[in-house]
Amino acid sequence: MRMLRFSFINFRNGFKSYLSLVLSLSFSILVLYNFQNIIYSEAFAVLGQRNKQYIDMLIQTVSVVLVCFLFFFVWYATNVFLTRRKREIGIYIFMGMSNRKIGSLYMIEISFVGITALLAGVGFGVLFAGLFQLVMGAVSDTEIDVRFGVSYKPVVFTAVSFLTVYLIFALKGYWNIVRSSVLSMISAARQNEYVHRKSQVFIVKAVLGILVLAAGYVLANKGTNQDMLANALLAVVLVIVGVYLLFGGLIPLVFQTLAGRKSFLYSGQRCLWVNQTIFRMRKNYRTYAMVCIIGICSATALATGFAMRERYNNMILFDNQYTFQLLTNQPNLGEQAERLIRGEADIACQTSLEALSVDRDHLVVAYSDVKRAAQEGGLSPIVREPADNETFYLSHQMLLSLIMGNRQIPVTLGDEIFQETEVIRQPYVGYMQKQMGCFYIVSDTAYERLRQKSQTLYIHNYKIADDTDFERARAAIDVLISNTDENYTARVAVNPFDNDLEWIKVLHALCVFMFLVFIVAGGCIMFMKLYNDAFEEKERYLVLKKIGFSSRTLAASVAKELLGAYMLPFVVMTVSAYFSVNALGRMMYTNLFSIYLVSMLVVLGVFALCYILSVAVYRKNVGV
Amino acid sequence: MNDKKVVEIKNLVKSYGAKDFQTTVLKGIDLTIYKDDFIAIMGPSGSGKTTLLNILSTIDKPTQGTVMLDGKDVTRISNKELAKLRKDKIGFVFQDYNLLDTMTLQDNIALPLALDGVPARQILERIRELSAAFGIEEQLRKYPYQLSGGQKQRGAVCRALITNPEIIFADEPTGALDSKAGKDLLHCLRRVNESGQATILMVTHDPHSASYAKDVYLLSDGMMKCRIGRGNDRKEFYNRIIDLQTSIGGDFS
Repeated sequence: MRMLRFSFINFRNGFKSYLSLVLSLSFSILVLYNFQNIIYSEAFAVLGQRNKQYIDMLIQTVSVVLVCFLFFFVWYATNVFLTRRKREIGIYIFMGMSNRKIGSLYMIEISFVGITALLAGVGFGVLFAGLFQLVMGAVSDTEIDVRFGVSYKPVVFTAVSFLTVYLIFALKGYWNIVRSSVLSMISAARQNEYVHRKSQVFIVKAVLGILVLAAGYVLANKGTNQDMLANALLAVVLVIVGVYLLFGGLIPLVFQTLAGRKSFLYSGQRCLWVNQTIFRMRKNYRTYAMVCIIGICSATALATGFAMRERYNNMILFDNQYTFQLLTNQPNLGEQAERLIRGEADIACQTSLEALSVDRDHLVVAYSDVKRAAQEGGLSPIVREPADNETFYLSHQMLLSLIMGNRQIPVTLGDEIFQETEVIRQPYVGYMQKQMGCFYIVSDTAYERLRQKSQTLYIHNYKIADDTDFERARAAIDVLISNTDENYTARVAVNPFDNDLEWIKVLHALCVFMFLVFIVAGGCIMFMKLYNDAFEEKERYLVLKKIGFSSRTLAASVAKELLGAYMLPFVVMTVSAYFSVNALGRMMYTNLFSIYLVSMLVVLGVFALCYILSVAVYRKNVGV
Repeated sequence: MNDKKVVEIKNLVKSYGAKDFQTTVLKGIDLTIYKDDFIAIMGPSGSGKTTLLNILSTIDKPTQGTVMLDGKDVTRISNKELAKLRKDKIGFVFQDYNLLDTMTLQDNIALPLALDGVPARQILERIRELSAAFGIEEQLRKYPYQLSGGQKQRGAVCRALITNPEIIFADEPTGALDSKAGKDLLHCLRRVNESGQATILMVTHDPHSASYAKDVYLLSDGMMKCRIGRGNDRKEFYNRIIDLQTSIGGDFS
C-alpha cells in the first residue's frame, strides 16, 4: 500500500515529464478505438450487407496494423522513458530498496501512465467518435448513419489490446531494473552516446546503405510482369535495411567529415549543433530511420488510397458506360430497342457493333467498327490497328492487378492462331466486355476472313440520360429478350444506383486516415525523442550560459540542431517515398506523382508543426 | 604595476531574503583590479566569495554599489550588453572544468571565437599558440572523457583565454585536481599572467593555490579583512597566508 502511494505521489509530481508519453499513447488508443467503433456502431450498415462485410474486414485489417504499430510505439516510448527514469529511481538504492522493490515501483508508476493514457484515449475516443464517423463519411464520400453512443465491445477490444502490449513492456522494464547493476542504473541517463568511430566503419555502412537502398528502388520499379509482387516485398525489406544503414553510416560519416573540416565547423553556431548532432547520432539514428520508414509507409498508404479511389472511379465509369446492352443474332433489332427505350427515357448516347462468334469461347470485333463505336461513345480511340495475325484482348478495369506490361500469348480464334499483344481496358463493349470476358479485336482483313466461318452477332448499346428512368426503361426493353435457336437476344442492364463497390471508397478513407495516423505518430516519436533529449542537455546548456553565451545564440543553435533532426528523416523519406509511390503507380496503372507531392507537403506541414513545438519545449527545458 | 583599471568595485553590498529577514552576504566591498594583476580571494565558508564572484561575472546583481568592468557599470547595463560583455571581456574557469563532452578539446577551445564569427584560420592559429603554452597539443583531438582532470582544466583555461579577455575569473580552478595537476595548472596561470596575457581573479580556499597569486585578499563576514602581497618568495608568501588564515579563524575548507 505504501508502494502504491509512493508511486502515485511520484506519478503526480512528475506528471509533466510523463505528459508526452501519456499524450502519444492516448492518441494511438484514440485512433484504435475509433476504428473499432466503426465496426460496432453500424455506421456503414446503410451501404448494405456486402459492403458492410468488406468494410468490417478492412477495418479489422487496419486494426491489426494499428495494434502492430502500437506494439512498436509502446516498445519505443517505454524504452525512452525507462532510460530517463532509471537514474532517478536508481537513487532509491541508497535508501535501502532492493532492485525488485524499485522494479515494482516502476511497474506501478508506469501502470498509472498506462491507465491515464487508456482513460484519456478511450474518453476522447468516445467524445470524438461521432466526429470521426462524420469525417470518415465525408472523406470517403459515402452516406453513413452517424450514431452517438458507447458500445462496450470496441472499448474492451481497445483496452485489452493496449493493456496486453503495455503489460509486456512494463514487465520488460521491471525485468530490466531487476537485472540492472547499481552503477548502470545511476548512470543510465548519462550514458555517453559517442558515435565518433573510425571512418572506415562508417564508409562500409554508408556504401552498403546506398547500394542496398538503390537495389530496393530499382527492384520496386522494375517491370518484370508476374515478379512484381515478389520484387515489391523484397524492395520493402531492402529499403528498410538501406535506410537503417544510411542513418547508421552515411549521415554520421557526413557529419563527422564536416566536423573535421574546421573551416566549415568554425562558423557561427555550427561548432555547437554539428558536434551535438554527432554526439546524439548513435542513439538517434534508429529513431530517424524509424520515422523515415513510417513516413514512407504513410506516403504509400495515402497513394494506395488515392489509387484505389481512382480505380473505383474508373470501374464505376467502365460499368456505367452503357445502361442497356443487347446481344442478338437479329440484324434489325436496334431500331425496335431504341423505340422501346425512348418510350420511357431519353437516350444520351447509343452505339452498335458487329461481332463474330468464332467459336464457343470467343467473340471477335473488327478494328474499324470498334474505332467508330469508340468515337460515338465518347471513348479514347484504339492506338493502332492490330496486324493481320495480331489481336487485342478487351479486358476491364480491376482494383488491383499485378500483371505488368504487354504480353505475347497465342490465342486460337476459330481455326486461326493470333498473337494477343495488348490488353485494352476501355469499355468499348461496355459492361458486357467485363461480364463475358471473351471479346477480341482483330484487323479488318482478319475480321472479313473470319466472317466466312462464323456466326454474326449484333451488339446495341444505350446510355439513358436520366438515371431515375432506369427501372421503367428496363421493363420496356425486357420484352425483347428471347432464347431460341432462330431468335437469340440477351440483355445487359447496369443499375446506376448499384452501390456494390462503395467499400472501395471507404478503403480510400481508411488509407487517408492511416496516412495521417502514421505521420502524426512519426512526428510524435521525433517530438518525444527531442523532449527527452532536452532533459539530458540541460546541464550542457547551463555550462554554455555560464561561459558567457547569450540565450539568443544558444536558441539559434537549438533551432538548427532540431531542424537537422527533422530534416534528415524528411529528406530520405522524400526520396524513398518517390520510388515506393512510383512503384505503386506502376502496379495500379496510374500516375501518383501529384499524390506523392501532396503527401510530402502534408508530412512537411506536420513536421514543421512538430518542429516548432519541439524548439519551444526544448528551449524551455534547457532554459535558453 | 599597470595603471589600467580592469575592475573597480565600490561599496558592494549584497543581501538576500525579504525585508524583515535579510541576510547581508557582502557588506560594502571595495576592490580595484588593474591590468596584469593576479589576485586570489580567500575566505572561510560563507564569507561571500562565491557571491562576489557571481556578481563580478555578471551572473548575479548587487543590492547596492557599483561594479565597473572595462569602464562600464555592469549593474546598469541591459542583459544584451551583459551577454556581450561576458562573451568579449570575461573568461571563466570553473572547478569542474565545464567542457562540453559533445566535442573535442580543440572544438571546445575554439567555440567562443567560432560563435563570434572569427575566421577559422585565425582560430586555429590561436589554438596552436595556447595549446603549446599549456602543453596540450597532443590532446586537442581527444574528447573530454578521454582526458585527465589536469588536461581538461588546462583546456578550460585555453578556452577562457582564447578571446583575449580583460580578466579571467577562476572559481577554485584546482579544486578537482590532484596536487601535481593543480601545481602544473597554477604554473601555467602564473606564466600567462606574467607574460601579460591575462589578468586573473581566482577564488580559492587553498593557501597553496593562493600563493601563486601576486596578491591575496581575505574575505570574512562579507568584508575584505586584509590584503597581502607576494613579494619575491612564494614559499614565504604561503607561510604568511597560513598565518593569516590561523589568525582569522573559521572553516577554510
